[in-house]
Amino acid sequence: MRNISRKDFLKIGAALPLALQSLRLRAEQGGERPPKRIIFINSCLGFYKPYFYPKKRGDLSTSDYLKGMKTLGKMTLFQNLFHPGMRTSNHDSEKSFLTGTPSPESPTFVNGISLDQVLARQMGGDTRFPFLNFSIYDRGWGISWNDRGSAIPPMYDEQKIFQMLFENEDLKAKKQQLQNDQNILDCLRRDLAQLRKQGANAGKLESYQAVIAELETQLNHEKFWLNASKPKVPKSLSDDQDFVFSTKIRNLFELAKLAFQTDSTRVITFSMDWIDGAIKVPGATGGWHSLSHHANRPDIIARLSKIEIDTLKHYNRFLFEMDQIKEGEGTLLDHTTVVLGSNFGNSSNHTCDYLPIIVAGGGYKHKPHTVLEKQTPLCNLYLELLHKHDIDAKSFGSSQKDMGLLNS
Amino acid sequence: MNQMYCQKNLLIANVLLLGVFSGAFCIEANPATPLELKEAALEQFENHCFDCHDGDAKKGGLDLVSLLGKGDFDGSLIFEHLITAKMPPKNKRQPALKEKQLMLDWLAQCQAENAPQPYRRISRHEFVHSVNDLLGVKLDLTGGIPEDRGTHDFDSDRRVLLTRQMLTSYFLAADEMLEFALPAKGFVQERIWVTNKIKDSHNSYNIYTREYKEGILFSWTRANNGNSYSFFYDNFDPPVKGWYELTFEAMKLGAFKEDVSIEVFGGKYYFADDRPQPQRLLDVISLGNREMKSHTVRVFLHPGENVSVHCYSKHNFRKKNGNQGAYIKQLKVRGPVLDQWPPSSYQNIFGGLPMKMPPREAINTSVSQTKLKAIGGKVSVSSFQKGMEKGKMQDGSNRTFWHTRFKPTLAKPPHYVILENPNGNTINGLSYSTWSGGNGNGQVKAYSIHLSDDGKSWGAPIVEGALEIGGWTSEQPILFPKPTASHFIRFMVTDALTLDGRSLASIGKLDVMTVLPGEGSTLPVLVSSESVDDLKKVIRRFAQKAFSSNLTDEELAPYYQVSLNALKEQGDFVAATKLGLKAIICSHRFLMAPGEHKNRSYGIAADLARILWLSVPDKELMALSATDKLNGNTLEAQINRMLQDKKNKRMIHSFCNQWLDLRSFDKISPSLKLYPLYNGLLNHFLPLETEAYLNHLVQENLPLGHLIDSDFSFLNQRLAQHYGIPGIYGQNMRKVSFKQEVPRGGLLTMGSVLKVTADGFDTSPIRRGAWISKNIAGNTLSPPPEEVKAIEPEHGREAATLREQIEEHKNNPTCYACHKSIDPYGFALENFDATGQRRTNYRVKLPHRGTFQYRPQGYFKLAGEVDAAGEIDKDKFEDVVGLKKILLSEHKKVAYNFAKKFFEYANGYKPNLKQRLHLHAMIPDNAEECRMKDLIVKVLAYSLEGDRE
Repeated sequence: MRNISRKDFLKIGAALPLALQSLRLRAEQGGERPPKRIIFINSCLGFYKPYFYPKKRGDLSTSDYLKGMKTLGKMTLFQNLFHPGMRTSNHDSEKSFLTGTPSPESPTFVNGISLDQVLARQMGGDTRFPFLNFSIYDRGWGISWNDRGSAIPPMYDEQKIFQMLFENEDLKAKKQQLQNDQNILDCLRRDLAQLRKQGANAGKLESYQAVIAELETQLNHEKFWLNASKPKVPKSLSDDQDFVFSTKIRNLFELAKLAFQTDSTRVITFSMDWIDGAIKVPGATGGWHSLSHHANRPDIIARLSKIEIDTLKHYNRFLFEMDQIKEGEGTLLDHTTVVLGSNFGNSSNHTCDYLPIIVAGGGYKHKPHTVLEKQTPLCNLYLELLHKHDIDAKSFGSSQKDMGLLNS
Repeated sequence: MNQMYCQKNLLIANVLLLGVFSGAFCIEANPATPLELKEAALEQFENHCFDCHDGDAKKGGLDLVSLLGKGDFDGSLIFEHLITAKMPPKNKRQPALKEKQLMLDWLAQCQAENAPQPYRRISRHEFVHSVNDLLGVKLDLTGGIPEDRGTHDFDSDRRVLLTRQMLTSYFLAADEMLEFALPAKGFVQERIWVTNKIKDSHNSYNIYTREYKEGILFSWTRANNGNSYSFFYDNFDPPVKGWYELTFEAMKLGAFKEDVSIEVFGGKYYFADDRPQPQRLLDVISLGNREMKSHTVRVFLHPGENVSVHCYSKHNFRKKNGNQGAYIKQLKVRGPVLDQWPPSSYQNIFGGLPMKMPPREAINTSVSQTKLKAIGGKVSVSSFQKGMEKGKMQDGSNRTFWHTRFKPTLAKPPHYVILENPNGNTINGLSYSTWSGGNGNGQVKAYSIHLSDDGKSWGAPIVEGALEIGGWTSEQPILFPKPTASHFIRFMVTDALTLDGRSLASIGKLDVMTVLPGEGSTLPVLVSSESVDDLKKVIRRFAQKAFSSNLTDEELAPYYQVSLNALKEQGDFVAATKLGLKAIICSHRFLMAPGEHKNRSYGIAADLARILWLSVPDKELMALSATDKLNGNTLEAQINRMLQDKKNKRMIHSFCNQWLDLRSFDKISPSLKLYPLYNGLLNHFLPLETEAYLNHLVQENLPLGHLIDSDFSFLNQRLAQHYGIPGIYGQNMRKVSFKQEVPRGGLLTMGSVLKVTADGFDTSPIRRGAWISKNIAGNTLSPPPEEVKAIEPEHGREAATLREQIEEHKNNPTCYACHKSIDPYGFALENFDATGQRRTNYRVKLPHRGTFQYRPQGYFKLAGEVDAAGEIDKDKFEDVVGLKKILLSEHKKVAYNFAKKFFEYANGYKPNLKQRLHLHAMIPDNAEECRMKDLIVKVLAYSLEGDRE
């Protein structure tokens, strides 16, 4: 058993060869079980509790939001999970959603590695993209954090993501470019060595060195995958301009599905929020953030719930479509663990306990509504997910133990 | 970097030169030992603070006696309250300056050392500006690099580290910028297109424009859904991305004083169907003239992009056939334009080396001609209706079209068009468009293409397919499986839309797709050198500017090597150079600050250039650095020069975006129902007002009080309309003085600020209040105490107004501790709506019936009266005028806050308590003497020292 810590990853992280010789291997193992995938979706402004949770304990069909979901039999809603150390974190808690690192609001906060990144180390080597991370606009950070505690900038432009996933590049030019970039990295490394001798700031050099080491790994990975052409899929992105926000979420879910379906990646994160100005969804227009501070006013809740319903509609569609795609003896959904949650437990007062968490798919024997007796670290579930994905970790974040919440 | 340079002496010299300290706190005036200082300070705390803040009284929940007794505590809040004179309260005995000094010094001394990282990455904006300046190009690729400020206010924040993803995007951006500066295949010919034809983005839009004299008359172009109609000049095709000059021959029609504005957009042609498509506003042309004039704007276009215009004036709201509006006679597009030939990118990089290039002259391209005509082709048709002849497919307009004969007799199928290619040019396909307007009768649904060499015997179809029908007027390309040189191409209509069962066919435009001779050709610039020494020289010169240092050949060896290897392998001097340059701009030396510099002056030059220009040092700074002269008077003179340079506007823009959060400005779209007159033009100018104003305060070195209030701003016609100020015509920004009764002046009442602090619908006094409190007033809010969480607000009562709800903060001491420093500031701005217009009553949205139809009066009714009164620390005010007075009375606090913000902008971290003592000491007691440029210069000089401590 290994204890995952940031330090460990500093040591092994960047140098880990991502491109395992998977293409050939996979072809030879044709008859093997479909690979496991996982996606984490964070709805950063939470869900209105009374509509989200079932009215009758154990029965998801009594939840206003979830009752219409088509894959209810493949979902488990967890109640009473939380991240310790977030009592005054407010919006900053989003940074810790997938890391469990306490006190993100502190000025000296340094984040830990996020769960998806730990998983990507293990699961990322066999696919063209070790992981993908999405957000709905350019804000430079989401829920994926690297082993140095830096936010990994998410992608948000669906056209660019589609192009990256499915459109082939000019092979010859790309090869030359990769070679040039290799040469540049060599040059940069030589200069670093020189600077080190001259006594330049060691921390500064190291932080840069770590980044170019990762870039080199990335270049090697790309070089390896250059030999395989990208999968071809019909372009199924929507360009509905009436509901831009809604379209964006729909498209990113669509891309996540396509990426899993074509085995382009096995680890995805997706964060959704909108702090500025108003957004328009069917039935309501308003600032998501201002509405989320609803203070129990019925008119505000009515508008807020329209936004939440809209995001959940796309989530439902995502699950349903994943479940329609046959793979092995089950469906794509059966081989994909879909974690939906929020860093906020209560969207009105922006508090960060009693987090809403749903695990769907993954082939687990789902107990639709699992209410834990007392507030339990969400990292316990995260640790279990690591184990379920064959990562032999002793702990993750604030975890205490693998509680066996999901039965296979 | 092995060189040692003495900093402490310089520090003192600079500070003495740049600032005269007034009677405020001196720095390190207590020569006591740490222990003595502690005791002296605690004595003062006992005299002035413990009465209220001991274990018994514990006012505000604060027990200073036990807190200060602890070994480590966070004293920053106490420090801020003392230094901004919030504590002790005004009605209590105030400590003497010297006494206060003791307390502050001690707090600063015992602050836990949370030293920021001694380095930072440069921001994406700094990267793009720097590389542009180094290469001598202007290419904005910032959007391709991920946002890099994390959750922090300032781009420079040191807590955000460089990631692999950022570096990858820098690699990509570097490639693109280098290719733009030194294109591998040379520069395309400059061409000139002249057009007076427009294509509207909806078949019902033609009522907003009409053909007029030699061009088009535009009236109001706001669509009935509130979006703007787009009218495209699409008869030209930017062959590469680059700068193009657009010259509009235009005049205003109508006998009114106001200008008519033409908003010029770049984007791909689209069929609107009442939906706006992403387009970039390129520029605004203000038509004040009633005679024909040329208006030239220089814009950046990408291949496939066209220019579209919106015309807007309050005088021409939907006047079909009106005689008011903008008459655009023609548009001349010229480009891609280069600043010189060979372009300055070559001069910057290879200057001094012999270059060879063919002459570059503009080629006139007549745009009314089709490609078919250009290759000497002809068109023939199966039949035609009078007035709808075959030539109508070839006249460049979609409003005219060819139609098969239906009167007096109906032409029988097959319907077809034959395109003749007499010279056997290579044809790649056909380009088809329906016609705009009409009922769609005859639109082609399916086709087949046949080839022939003699026009008589036709082979089997080479391609068959379907076309989209509907109101589409966009081009639909029909690509051939392989290019053909056949002399005859037949477009056979195999199915067409028919509304009455008759067999018809009609086509708006049909042309061949081919590359015209000369079209794809480029003009290479050859650098006539293969010499290793030349290559080294080129690399060295670039590296010295980029790294702001004088590097030895040994130090540059890695960069030489990467280029020299490429030269050896590929034999291409320019390509080899590009590799070396890319390594330089992606290197540790370039991307991480502070860099590695030969002497102190180089380091200062790099910092200054980054802070004030978001760029690298220019020649003058480099020359001064070479002899290490950047200090004392010279340094001050250079800072002044840099502040006056136009590159300083980047700092103003960037600082406004970061400090005032104007970067979020465009993310907020005001409701058309509540604010029907808000439009793109206003959205464009609002932030420019703030930037022009701030720049003016800096240039003119005006007192900092102007941040709060003044009797002028920078306005144009559109902004003046918005603010209700009469008599301002034309869209050029100018200084406008306000009359006494105008409640504008200063940042708080600027439309940009008022909009960005609201959500486009409702105003939130809390959000606005928090904004002022943090950005302007400089109140320090304590974080909510640990044990207070999850206070479910009790404002569920239906009847309560927003104000009443917020006032309930008063009833809960825990809430009120902070909200008393937030809410009142917000209340004072309630007289301004979410777009920054003055109001006396709130607006309540009304539903519309059926589909939303835009109307200038909007959909709202007036509701309750605004109450903008409030109270700050027992000072009552009626409205924003009163609030401004209160803020002005605290000019030191406001100035201190500004100094802290500029420090953070410049350095990428918040000043620690010792640094804050320095900053506070820079502020004179007399408000009149506390001036913008002086303060910026002082903070800068201090930062440049601080960086090296």
